[in-house]
Amino acid sequence: MGDRDRPDYKILVVDDEPDLERLVRQRMRRHIRKGKYGFEFAGNGVEALEVLTENKDIDIVLSDINMPKMDGLTLLQQIPEVNSDLRSVIVSAYGDMENIRTAMNRGAFDFVTKPIDFTDLEVTIERTLRHLDEWRAALASRDKLVAIQNELDVATKIQQSILPDKFPHVDGCEVYGCMHAARNVGGDFFDVINLEAGRIGLAVADVSDKGVPAALFMMSSRTLLKGAAVGVEDPGAVLREVNDLLNETNDAAMFVTVFYGVYDPSTRMLTFSNGGHNPPLVVHPDGSSEELELTGGLALGAIPGFEYGQASVRLSPGDLVVFFTDGVTEAINVSNEEFGLESLQGLFADGRTPTAREAAEMILQAVQDFAGEAPQFDDLTCMTLRVADE
Amino acid sequence: MNVQVENHDKVLVAKVEGRVDSSNSQDFERQLQGAIGEDVKAVVIDLGQLAYISSAGLRVVLLVAKTLGQRNVSISLCALSDPVQSVFEISGFNRIIQIYDSQADALAAAG
Repeated sequence: MGDRDRPDYKILVVDDEPDLERLVRQRMRRHIRKGKYGFEFAGNGVEALEVLTENKDIDIVLSDINMPKMDGLTLLQQIPEVNSDLRSVIVSAYGDMENIRTAMNRGAFDFVTKPIDFTDLEVTIERTLRHLDEWRAALASRDKLVAIQNELDVATKIQQSILPDKFPHVDGCEVYGCMHAARNVGGDFFDVINLEAGRIGLAVADVSDKGVPAALFMMSSRTLLKGAAVGVEDPGAVLREVNDLLNETNDAAMFVTVFYGVYDPSTRMLTFSNGGHNPPLVVHPDGSSEELELTGGLALGAIPGFEYGQASVRLSPGDLVVFFTDGVTEAINVSNEEFGLESLQGLFADGRTPTAREAAEMILQAVQDFAGEAPQFDDLTCMTLRVADE
Repeated sequence: MNVQVENHDKVLVAKVEGRVDSSNSQDFERQLQGAIGEDVKAVVIDLGQLAYISSAGLRVVLLVAKTLGQRNVSISLCALSDPVQSVFEISGFNRIIQIYDSQADALAAAG
């Protein structure tokens, strides 16, 4: 129900018969009193257009055909220029199929015949209003979808814009990374940072939740991480610093899981700290593999002041380290089965030794083949570090 | 996903069933926040029937824990299945939120 001043629906009656206004007000008085219908009246098409211009909230135009100055059929053609969000019902002489057909072709929604049967008119008005309500609801949900889609496009652009597309050429190792973004945009990112003395910072991260807020959180996480990585040597100290900064403004309790490691090609040492991220996999040339240990970390952004531990591992020639997000291992197929860590390990079980790029692309391809027609809910991110053969 | 709520004196027990991921995490948050009344002294979230939780779901748990922490209301989780337990261990959330093996243990600690 509308408020007291405004009826639920407004109907403009256009007819050159002066008695019609009194008749309509009399026969529709219950609806008028209840505030359901409100009526405006016009004596011809020209007057009708004036009323429509002044009253943008008219829902239905109920118009006669034969009128002086401008007839109903001409009025039908003019209405969309003034208001495209209403429906017209034409009143015609009984059996006047030619005019009725013209009216329908010109966009009339329905018609009633003279002499007006008010019961029939009420049914027609109700049907027209129901149609109008559904039409408006459909328009509103379409607009909402467009807005959401625009938001997701922004998030996708943010996400894509920060991923490295060039990888450092370093003696003794090779690095590659790639990502397949989910349709509903997650918050994965990876980064490769050139550090002093030929060392490389390697980060892979996954922001909780999706959409523009997650993308913005990802953006600041990535910037803070890069900043901290350049100035601070220990991975654990880097994560502690980023965590404290992220906690300064985080009312939404968003968090980001980050694996951050520093690789020194001259010693083949990988020193790392795990901030709540799924552990990377180290694959050896013989096809065996194991996960890197957790370092007692916590997702970044959860609570301030957390101390992040770190660990080191000496890699061997030919070793491949696979950094990934849980979108890889938790990808599901049409039977709702997870890809899983075993399948990931299985890809290397035959002992072939792909390059960093081949390995990363092979993994994403395998996950997509496994998922088949099942929708992709999460970003797939994979970064690889391949230690050179001896 | 479904949240069922029981009150044991001033301890609220919320049983979560099904899967929580980014498609229903907002609904999860609404149901959980809506169930927590003013006079609650402790909240126990029973995850015994939870099959899967994504990071979006973890965020809701963290958000609720933070909100309750500001009100000095204790929060704990209980009866985690192995896959769910593993999600809490990897993310490190088991370090900041108390986890009990069973609802009885959680209630005894909360009582």
